[in-house]
Amino acid sequence: MTHPANSSKKTSKGGWIFLLSGFVLALIVGWVIFPMVLYSKQSQPMNFNHLLHLDPEKVYGIEGDTRAEQCLYCHAFYEDGTFAGIPKVEKCIECHDDPENPLGELPEEMEFLVKYVAEEKEIPWLVYSEQPDCVYFSHIAHVKMGKLDCQTCHGDHDKTEKLPVYQENRLTGYSILIWGKNIAGYKKNTWDRMKMDDCAECHTKKGHEENNACFVCHK
Amino acid sequence: MELSRRNFIKFVAGGAAGTALSPLPWKLTDDIAIWTQNWPWVPDPSTGEFTNVNSVCNLCPGGCGISVRKVDTRAVKIDGRTDYPVNPGGICPLGMGGLQLLYNKTIRYPGPMRRIGPKGKGEFVMITWDEALDILAKRISNLRKKGMPEAVAAVDGNQRMSTMSVMVERLLTSVGSPNYVTTPSIDDTYLISNLLLQGTDGPMSYDLENADYVLSFGCGLLEGWGAPGRVMNAWGLWHDSAGKTRAKIVQVESRASNTASKADRWVASRPGTDAALALGLAHVIIKNGLYNSRFINNFSFGFENWTSADGKDHVGFKSMVLDKYSPDQVAKITGLNPEDIVSLAKDFARAKAPIAIYGKGKDDLDGGVYECMAVHILNALVGNINKPGGVLINDPLPLSRLPEIKQDAIFKQGLGKPRIDQAGSLQYPFAGSLINNLTNKIIKSPKSPVDTILIFSANPVYTLPDGGAFKEALEKIPFVISFSPFRDETSYMADLVLPDHTYLEKMVDVVWPTGLQYPFYGLSKPVVEPLYNTRNSGDVIIELSKRIDSTVQSAFPWENFEGVLKARAKGLFKAGGLVTYDNMNPAWERKKYGNGSKHNYTSFEEMWTKIKAGGLWYQPVHGFDGWEGLFKTPDRKFEFFSKRVQLAVDEYAGKTTYKTALKNMGITVTGDQVCMPHYEAVSSDVNMSAYPLRMMPYEMINLASGWIPSPPFLYKTIFDNQLKGDLSFAAVNPKTATEYGLKQGDRVIIKSPAGEVEAGLSLSDGAMPGIVYLPLGFGHTAYDEFLRGKGVNPNEIIDAEKDPLSGHSVWWNTHVNLVRI
Amino acid sequence: MKKGHDQGKHKYGMVIDLDKCTGCGTCMVACAAENNVSVRPDESDKQRSIAWMLLYKIDNGKEFPDTETSYFPRPCMHCDDNPPCVSVCPATATKIDYNTGIVSQIYTRCIGCRYCIAACPYHARTFNWWDGYFPKGKGLDRYLSPEVSPRMRGVVEKCSFCHHRLMRAKDQAYAEGRKELKEGEYITACAEACPAQAISFGDLNNPGHKVSRLSKSPFAFRILEKLGTNPKVYYLSTKDWVRKMADNYLPGEFKPVSKASASADKKTTLQGG
Repeated sequence: MTHPANSSKKTSKGGWIFLLSGFVLALIVGWVIFPMVLYSKQSQPMNFNHLLHLDPEKVYGIEGDTRAEQCLYCHAFYEDGTFAGIPKVEKCIECHDDPENPLGELPEEMEFLVKYVAEEKEIPWLVYSEQPDCVYFSHIAHVKMGKLDCQTCHGDHDKTEKLPVYQENRLTGYSILIWGKNIAGYKKNTWDRMKMDDCAECHTKKGHEENNACFVCHK
Repeated sequence: MELSRRNFIKFVAGGAAGTALSPLPWKLTDDIAIWTQNWPWVPDPSTGEFTNVNSVCNLCPGGCGISVRKVDTRAVKIDGRTDYPVNPGGICPLGMGGLQLLYNKTIRYPGPMRRIGPKGKGEFVMITWDEALDILAKRISNLRKKGMPEAVAAVDGNQRMSTMSVMVERLLTSVGSPNYVTTPSIDDTYLISNLLLQGTDGPMSYDLENADYVLSFGCGLLEGWGAPGRVMNAWGLWHDSAGKTRAKIVQVESRASNTASKADRWVASRPGTDAALALGLAHVIIKNGLYNSRFINNFSFGFENWTSADGKDHVGFKSMVLDKYSPDQVAKITGLNPEDIVSLAKDFARAKAPIAIYGKGKDDLDGGVYECMAVHILNALVGNINKPGGVLINDPLPLSRLPEIKQDAIFKQGLGKPRIDQAGSLQYPFAGSLINNLTNKIIKSPKSPVDTILIFSANPVYTLPDGGAFKEALEKIPFVISFSPFRDETSYMADLVLPDHTYLEKMVDVVWPTGLQYPFYGLSKPVVEPLYNTRNSGDVIIELSKRIDSTVQSAFPWENFEGVLKARAKGLFKAGGLVTYDNMNPAWERKKYGNGSKHNYTSFEEMWTKIKAGGLWYQPVHGFDGWEGLFKTPDRKFEFFSKRVQLAVDEYAGKTTYKTALKNMGITVTGDQVCMPHYEAVSSDVNMSAYPLRMMPYEMINLASGWIPSPPFLYKTIFDNQLKGDLSFAAVNPKTATEYGLKQGDRVIIKSPAGEVEAGLSLSDGAMPGIVYLPLGFGHTAYDEFLRGKGVNPNEIIDAEKDPLSGHSVWWNTHVNLVRI
Repeated sequence: MKKGHDQGKHKYGMVIDLDKCTGCGTCMVACAAENNVSVRPDESDKQRSIAWMLLYKIDNGKEFPDTETSYFPRPCMHCDDNPPCVSVCPATATKIDYNTGIVSQIYTRCIGCRYCIAACPYHARTFNWWDGYFPKGKGLDRYLSPEVSPRMRGVVEKCSFCHHRLMRAKDQAYAEGRKELKEGEYITACAEACPAQAISFGDLNNPGHKVSRLSKSPFAFRILEKLGTNPKVYYLSTKDWVRKMADNYLPGEFKPVSKASASADKKTTLQGG
């Protein structure tokens, strides 16, 4: 005669392991493997050292009293108030103008002078914070009028020596920085994510609810 | 520890719980939602630095100022310029759609092409510029060597007096051929009329903005006549401040065009009777003593009866008009009420600044010389010549003449030959060129007298109102070269295509827009880098001259086309004019400036740099110094009786008989009337019972009907009773339709002696009974899916007569019949 | 109760002078070129053709030669009181922003149900039955503006009062250190392009703006005013027959404006034919 209690006890003991392993495995898949599969990793065409360029002891000529003004020296506004984003080679050659005479010793600089300046080509940078085509964003409204620091949305990008790997969501095609670095969507810093709700949250917090109207951010 | 069913379920449950606690399902759901909003095949326009480049629109001779919005190197939008005198801000729909002409690859030639397929099929192979220029240069120099340079002909669609036009004529002259012909323009009619009445050679200058009564005889003010940006701006000024009309606009036209519909008064007289109506109005004005006697008595000739030096008595204009153009007589011709003619004349004569203007729809079709003269007579009667709101008398634009051309033996021999089109001959003494005659001569000759024809900025196969004759002529011409940037009907017939840049890729001048009242010079400049392997035809002519031979080359001593532009612009520097414009001081307002004073440059180079930047040079409207010495006729008077006409008729009559001379010149009256503006009923030997109706083509501002194709955007503005699918519609009065048992939407064949076309029927109360109105601008057989095969081209069935005196074509009198399908 | 909008700061609106309007169609072309509106090979199928600004031709119904035509350029009316399209949209793809008065349309949010098309009394909305016509290699995508998002098939589009031009003007003002816009800095593409200056655009809430003056003219009227949608597009015409076309009137209900209008309305046409 089989003892029902025994058998149940026996299986339940092993069963918990199944339950647990399914649970753990799913967590591993969800938290570790899924993000690895979801995002492609691409490196930038060449490195750019933000920290170096902003070090007044090493690089002369990048002007600006505040951190934001220093950023704006290269990532400038055009006269009509639109934002240039990543500078064109034209901006770089204001200093790095001679392919024969590099200003520093880094190999990247030589690469830049030979591959882009001499060839008159633009660098195909991958843009970390490229928004979808349906999104309108005015930098000048936020930086100049709203007095936001660049950091608020872009973090400490200016403190980097190496450009981070560009990660693109394979499904949506957008940069990881749009949805947020944290796969759970958990946001620690203001610059962790750039989704519609994040814009709205900040607008609301700062008492600019009127800017949550659809057409303010959509085109 | 075996994997039982129960354990498996536990595993799955654990997995489910784990998954739920992981970001996977939530993130995936969100991403999928975003993914559904991705439409990778929908264009994602690149962004960059926005700039605005100022230039001048060159799609019609209007020369409106445009500002092209660019994103990095791409042009994305055309707007009007507010810092430009011609059009303060607005432009026309054609100019607005210009980028579709620039960027539509399928309607453009990517580089020089040589024909490989049959003529007219548009099958080409791309060759290099070197090859192309060599082929053409060899052909021309061979003809020169054979001593028959006159077998080279050119058709020029560039604006009169523009530097491109001067270059084309110069090429022909230096080669030794007199056979330079132009495509029609109302400017030719204006020039002849001004010459005959006033002896002046300047462009027609209508001071519209300052007029308070505009009596327009068929002028398509809202159909694209003149510079559309200027005329429509004037329209806005005339109607400014709601409820108060500043100027009264009267339109004489048989159809309720936009101009007629929006005018204060629409005078629906029969087509081709403008001269009769104008003289009828003159009759009333004279009879009621409403004319300006100071002007008539002191500054005119031929108003009263007069006696010539040989003692012969002559009938004056007054007697002729009083005798032959009473309101009753004119009412019979025009179909109007006599009382209305009287009231119209009185309104006109009593206005403060009335102006009578003449036109035929847009400005790229011929008009009638006697008609134009009759209309202009009205301005003389009320003395509104060279006065604010009247017709101003200007000299031609002060451009420098290019140096004389070196003459060699071949040159003299070729130019000594008569023009194939007979322009300037005894029979057509006043015509500059007659493309209709050239066409007929080629068709009728067993072997084409033209061996090589160069076609610049023109699409005559499509645009000429000749019932398809020009195409027939091209089939007979051994070698056809088109310089068109577009794959149009004419270039399809070409053996060689040397594509020009489009107007947004090149530097080219705009010389005095039609009808403008002050001297104006505009300069288009490249807005974008040339997209394809095309070249400015001006540069091509210079390069070609080098390859023909040294004599021809010596006529073109310039490095490039800009050099020629500069050489001519030297005269502008000497004359002095403004090169910047402040829209608070409209160029048509007489204040502050004297004639061309206050300019802000000291050297020619400085002026040229400024013209290149601003695209303009102008002199504000001049002051009025009375009528003294104004007219350039032999006795410095406005001639009601044109001695030039008398001289020409006498000269021709001396070679043949008076009767034959008049008959060949197309004049049906005799005696003194011949030399005065009079009404000529267009004669026709068409069997009226076979063709009881008349067909008139009509133009629209929102559809290009010239050599420039319509940008597809324009088709959004076309109503579906004008074009539906591939069917274009003829507008017919409901009464006429009932007479013929036809109803709205019927498909009909419109048959004329020259051919037949198929169209839909659109009943319209704006159409005069008895006339079939077909829109111009449809019916292309070239270009791409936007334009090809859409509707019909009325030019194909036009059976044109000849205008008396000028010999230009009378395209408004085709007899047709309607047959339901 | 105060209407939603009166609390808002700006109330952008348009006044179109029909006496000045020449029916040339530049507004339509300017609008299509400015807003990346797709052009298909057959634009004569008016039920499928997309136009944010559409020109209507009307006539007085009389026989030749007393017939008279006029034109109505029709953008989105940007109804101020409960826009009929907004209340029916199940996806919140269209909303009115009471700070500008502009009724927005978000293509990525639109589900293509076309309820708004049915609801709009002005036929101001059109549906994309196909993707935009930009065949590969034809090059027509090269003139597309990055300021307006091109549409995909299956969504509704309509006039936005060139909202991107408002953003453009604001950016320019910010660059110059200003927060407020001056009159004329933000105008729609159609208003800028009109060669007869028939279209005025500005802030109806600002008494200094031309539009607010013109909208109070005795000759000003709106289309289907009796529906109570409170459109922000006004028309001017001194012609009674034109004004009468703008709404449905019971016999005797329509009131001619004034004697001034009556005299201006007396257009004479001479008999011919």
